[in-house]
Amino acid sequence: MSDVTTGQLIRRALVESPALASGLRLTLVMAMAGQAITIVTPIVFQQILDDEILNPNGIDLGDVLTRASVAVFALIAGIIIGRAALLRLVRSSSIGLSDLRTMTFDHLLRQSVLHVQAERRGNLVSRVTSDVTTLQEFMEWGGVSLVVASSQVLLATSVMFYYQWRLALISLVGVFLYLFLMRWFQRILRKNYDRVRIEVGRSLGVLSESISAIPVVRAYGVEAETQGKVAEALEDRFQREFRTNWFGNSLFSSAEIFAGTLTAAVVIAGVLIGAAEGMTAGELIAFFFLTNLLIEPLQIVVETLEFSQSAASGLRRVIEVLDSEIEIQDPEEPQDLPPDGLSVTFEDVRFAYDTGGDVLQDVSVKIENGSRVAVVGETGSGKTTFAKLLVRLLDPSDGVIRVGGVPLDNVPLEQLRSRVAFVPQEGFLFDDTIANNVRYGRPGATDAEVFTAFHELDLGDWLAGLPEGLETQVGERGGALSAGERQLVALVRAWIGSPDLLVLDEATSAVDPSLDVALRHAMERLTRGRTSVTIAHRLATAENAGKVLVFDSGRLVEQGRHRDLLAAGGVYADLFADWSAGTKSV
Amino acid sequence: MNSAELTPWSVLRDGVRLIARFVRGHPFAFAIAVTGAAVYAGAIIASSLVIGWVTDTVVIPVLDAGESYSGLLLPAGLLILGVAVVKAVGIITRRTGAGYLQLRTRQDLRNELLDHQLSLKMSWFDKQSIGDLLAVADADVDQGTGVLGPLPYASGVVLLLFGSFAMIVAIDPWIGLGATIGLAVVIAVDIRGSWITYRMWEAVQVARGRVSSVAHESFDGALTVKSLGREGYVSERFGKESDELRDRLIQVNSTWTTYQTVIRAMPQAISIALIVVGAVRIEAGLLSAGDLVTVAYLLALLAFPVQLIGFVLWDLAGSQAGWQRIAAIFGARDFIDYGDLHASPDAGAAGISSAAVGFTYDGSATVFEGLSLDLDPGVTLAVVGPTASGKSTLCLLLARLWDPATGEIHLDGRDVSLFAGSELPREVSYVAQDAFLFDDTVAGNITLGSDFSEEEIKEAATLAGADEFVDDLPQGYETMLGERGTTLSGGQRQRIALARALIRKPRLLILDDATSAVDPSVEAVILRSLKSAALPSTIVVVAYRPASIRLADEVVYVDEKRIVAHGTHPELLASTPGYARLVQAYEEDARRIEQEAS
Repeated sequence: MSDVTTGQLIRRALVESPALASGLRLTLVMAMAGQAITIVTPIVFQQILDDEILNPNGIDLGDVLTRASVAVFALIAGIIIGRAALLRLVRSSSIGLSDLRTMTFDHLLRQSVLHVQAERRGNLVSRVTSDVTTLQEFMEWGGVSLVVASSQVLLATSVMFYYQWRLALISLVGVFLYLFLMRWFQRILRKNYDRVRIEVGRSLGVLSESISAIPVVRAYGVEAETQGKVAEALEDRFQREFRTNWFGNSLFSSAEIFAGTLTAAVVIAGVLIGAAEGMTAGELIAFFFLTNLLIEPLQIVVETLEFSQSAASGLRRVIEVLDSEIEIQDPEEPQDLPPDGLSVTFEDVRFAYDTGGDVLQDVSVKIENGSRVAVVGETGSGKTTFAKLLVRLLDPSDGVIRVGGVPLDNVPLEQLRSRVAFVPQEGFLFDDTIANNVRYGRPGATDAEVFTAFHELDLGDWLAGLPEGLETQVGERGGALSAGERQLVALVRAWIGSPDLLVLDEATSAVDPSLDVALRHAMERLTRGRTSVTIAHRLATAENAGKVLVFDSGRLVEQGRHRDLLAAGGVYADLFADWSAGTKSV
Repeated sequence: MNSAELTPWSVLRDGVRLIARFVRGHPFAFAIAVTGAAVYAGAIIASSLVIGWVTDTVVIPVLDAGESYSGLLLPAGLLILGVAVVKAVGIITRRTGAGYLQLRTRQDLRNELLDHQLSLKMSWFDKQSIGDLLAVADADVDQGTGVLGPLPYASGVVLLLFGSFAMIVAIDPWIGLGATIGLAVVIAVDIRGSWITYRMWEAVQVARGRVSSVAHESFDGALTVKSLGREGYVSERFGKESDELRDRLIQVNSTWTTYQTVIRAMPQAISIALIVVGAVRIEAGLLSAGDLVTVAYLLALLAFPVQLIGFVLWDLAGSQAGWQRIAAIFGARDFIDYGDLHASPDAGAAGISSAAVGFTYDGSATVFEGLSLDLDPGVTLAVVGPTASGKSTLCLLLARLWDPATGEIHLDGRDVSLFAGSELPREVSYVAQDAFLFDDTVAGNITLGSDFSEEEIKEAATLAGADEFVDDLPQGYETMLGERGTTLSGGQRQRIALARALIRKPRLLILDDATSAVDPSVEAVILRSLKSAALPSTIVVVAYRPASIRLADEVVYVDEKRIVAHGTHPELLASTPGYARLVQAYEEDARRIEQEAS
């Protein structure tokens, strides 16, 4: 992907988000036309100087006024056209980029990386925030300046050639040298900026770590060490930033000397050439202004080019997202699930992430319709992966999973999600009301239905204890509720969708005994009468299950009833002994 | 400050005060920067004078009057070049001085912020969102000092403007008057436009924040969203926020574009007007063509800097917004009061005595009233109670991370609040449930920069049940942990944090649910070895698991804001029904299953 050119990236972006380029040609023509007007001033100046002020026959004030009026009208027309062009550019880029952002978001949301590599989430958020913002800024500031500045350069050069081609050629050569010089400076500076970025990142890392660690720092009395560490990192950063700042200043101000040289060259060459070729004083003076008109936009062009590089890498990252494959796809030839109860079979299922070894292997199991199954095993034994495969959050590397006899990847996703519910370990809640969080389980459920759902799971008392009942705001990530309460809401959310197959990942964290009773009771109600698979962290769940599946190091090592497994004295018996050790009080 | 009261003038007034505060820190750098700016302004004026002079003495005589060019041509070229060199030197001086001022001020502020936060009470820290504190130290410091970058340039532009007007007026009062009025209008339009777009820009930032928080929330909840099949809904929700941002952006950019177009065109319109006035004055013999060129050239050079005045207003307003959040932290005066007691870390296990301790959270909700706890040296105490009963608060009070509202807590007969800064931790180690690991090696995380030998590190780690897995890490005790290092499981992290406390051989060791993520059997082993180890410690441990409670010499049962009972485990089982219920809730499962199995 890295060898894709910027041009290809842009074409790709235009395919994804055609609004970006809508009417672009007309916009460019209008922008140039608007900009052409800036050339009016030096021309009028030259003409009035040559034809009137330096005219030995004296000044015709009426004529001066006429010419000036024409110039002012041209200026106003230029403003109107130029503004219209910029507005068009602003509109099309904003609309196009908003489309691109939403599209990227949607694509990311459908990928497995978000729940497989949780640590990358923060990084991925920047695809739809800072990366798109870079593009936006480039389009608004950079893109506009680029259009305006380059048309100004083009027009100034044309007028120069019209006045005196040899002098124009000197200016043009000078301009190219200047551009070249600036680009060269930038390349030198970029290396320095990279080093600055590293120091900035390091110092911020140390600083934010120290602030987050204030309780630890206090508890261990290491204030002085912490301050010293931060001060050192900040000093390193200052040294690096200041040196780069000084270096950049020196490089860029040498450009001023270059601009001075160019003006001096125009004066000397202009007088020499002008005297020989009959150039007027007004024309040469117009040249001074034109040179000025030329240098200023060049600085903008150079800055924009730098800008465009960060925009291009932002675009590259966005396109990479859009190009990456969505692992879980809707089937091409969909098959419906049978109307009532669902059984599950795994046939020689193996699973491995692209990056590593097998997480699960040789898993074959049959779960009867209506049965209650508990899955146990140590952390990392593969039991959570088993659950994710079962609800098709992941696809197996080998083997077939059938639900209700239908291969899982043939079931339309929408149907699968409405018939099979998965309640993850952490009951994730959105920053919204309780009712709206439950509605994620069944869109369009009325308040009465949500209310009934709580009562059906015997959670009416809990709900009544909340300050605003169903309308209680749960806060960011459900922070206003305890972990156990979030789990309760997540259970209601599963219940209201009335699934035929339920996959539950029990929470590990300790909860209040009273809440614990409510939770267990709700789970009991939820699993009754339907096929359920529970990843068990507590003894009772395994004990009450019709069947226990025991995972160890990615393999299904034992299965059967609690009593039989215990008697067999294998992996399960060991796990059980460990559990018991922690729960006995006498 | 209420943002509705903001006006361009209040921004200007408060901005000057803010700048004055920063400049006081590094006056010399500021003086250098302003000197550079003055040189730069002088060079611009000089360059227009030179162009006028060249027009009158070389260009017109040679090209218009047909005289052969005098020996002045080369000096004219050198003069132009010389002015450019002076201008370049001015720019370097100005920007370097300004860079120093800005970068040093940022460095100072970040150091001061950390120092200040370290001296505030935990009760203050606890009310803050860590994310906000980090944003203040990072983005707000940058934003708050943002105005220092363009400041010297802006003061240069002001000098330039005054200098230019003086010169234009000296050349011709009527043209001077026209130019003054013209540029004043440009500046007024510029300030107005900047102000309006600044206010709109704030709305854009709000919309941008919403887009970002919806993205964060959706990605964090991706597993839930997918398992419910609600991707479409969530995308639609994001799309709405994205479109809101789009509309705000279109609005602000349309306004900005309009102002910019007008501001760019106005100096040109003024130039054209001045040519007409100039022609009249030349006709009257009151002005030379060279003077007119000087004036026009100067106006052309001013066009760009004048556009930047509006940006300074942006920077001023933005800096104040950032500064307000910094000032809010400096404004917190909730400092910890330290005494002058020194620690005696080698005096063996310390006893605890406390009387009539009361604690209120945030001055309102009472957590404790009249709490008394006495503990003999060397005892292991389990703190048991339902969620939110105050177990953690008790631990934090004992470690003096929080201060009681009433009463006193004594460690070995000394009031914990009378210790000097950093002294109490030499006697007391506190381990929280949430194990914070630094971006450092395993060894560094255990020593926290203090002097300990390798054997001591290994010994502490062994006692904490960490030695075995640390040895299996790629570089053993030198393995980097934290953000850029190896990721450990929750239980492993907690064991490292425990070793950090044990290596200090504290006289009082407080474990606030510090082994919650460790497997039950491992936890039992750790607690058992803590008891039998030759630690000079009194141990206070918040415990859930019956097996852990059983290991303690004594138990306090905390409920409803007080210590309900204090005694041995069997005593409390017999005397306190609430305690028995709580402990047995966990036990019931096990017992029933065992019975069935046998």
